[in-house]
Amino acid sequence: MSKRQFKLQYDSIKAGDEAPVVSHELTRTCLVRFAGAAGDFNPMHHDEMKAKAAGLPSVFGHGMFSMGLLGRALSDWAGPGNLRVYGVRFTKQTWPGETLSTRIVVTGKEETAAGRLVAAEVALLNQDGEVKLSGTAKVLAR
Amino acid sequence: MDLKDYIGKPTGAGRVHVERGSVSRFAAAVTDDNPVYSDLRAAQAAGFDAPPVPPTWTFSAMFLGTYPEDQPEDPTGGKGNPMMGIIGQLMQGGGLILHGEQEFRYHQAVQCGDVLEWDGRITDIYTKEAKGKVMTFIVMENEFRNAAGEPVVTEIFNLIHRGA
Repeated sequence: MSKRQFKLQYDSIKAGDEAPVVSHELTRTCLVRFAGAAGDFNPMHHDEMKAKAAGLPSVFGHGMFSMGLLGRALSDWAGPGNLRVYGVRFTKQTWPGETLSTRIVVTGKEETAAGRLVAAEVALLNQDGEVKLSGTAKVLAR
Repeated sequence: MDLKDYIGKPTGAGRVHVERGSVSRFAAAVTDDNPVYSDLRAAQAAGFDAPPVPPTWTFSAMFLGTYPEDQPEDPTGGKGNPMMGIIGQLMQGGGLILHGEQEFRYHQAVQCGDVLEWDGRITDIYTKEAKGKVMTFIVMENEFRNAAGEPVVTEIFNLIHRGA
């Protein structure tokens, strides 16, 4: 574990810096793949007929898919294994056909006993800017 | 049963084997194509001993690498997760269950080959009124520990019942 790679430079990073945006079009195939890989077979995420019978316009995305997509953007930015805290509030459902984009904005940094931490506000938005989930994260920097 | 009486109750416990197949499939399913999750060489070049797990993997872990023959004693005494009873009680009046918040606190890396033990409990239940509807918040915590008994990941999350 001694070679762990940090992608963020503590000294040069500052509040307002943004991580690269990850965008992804949500398809029904994404929902089925996630259901299988995560073991979440709530039919509202894969069974169109049951979803419509429940009064929904279609199946909708797993909240944990959204959190996973945003987690990928955090890992891309800080390097895998460098997340320390990652918490979100789910605000809106996601729907097939939406293009989801990540937003990660640095809010501060602090040197702690556990290492040099960079704090960020994180969110996932659709193509119209509707916020699907929002929260905060802390990642390690060198 | 008064809902407050559920605070502190265990929701379950388990032992989970962190397997490469489930980890690489999960990474692909959250669109993460970083080779560290699938290729041992890439993982080692990034400073890991084996492929690490993506940040949200543990939330699914109990569905992915659980072997019936080596599970710990059931802390619910065979009664199962009390959430089932709580949801049943709340849904008698209709309404909707939502996943409201989810937080992960990472203490140590989780890597393929690890065997984790987890246990969960209900830490709080409270209600709020919003737009004339009663919202019931059930807060839970799961802790994952490594073979040495050290915490590796703590999950704090809530489910919300929105009354009809």
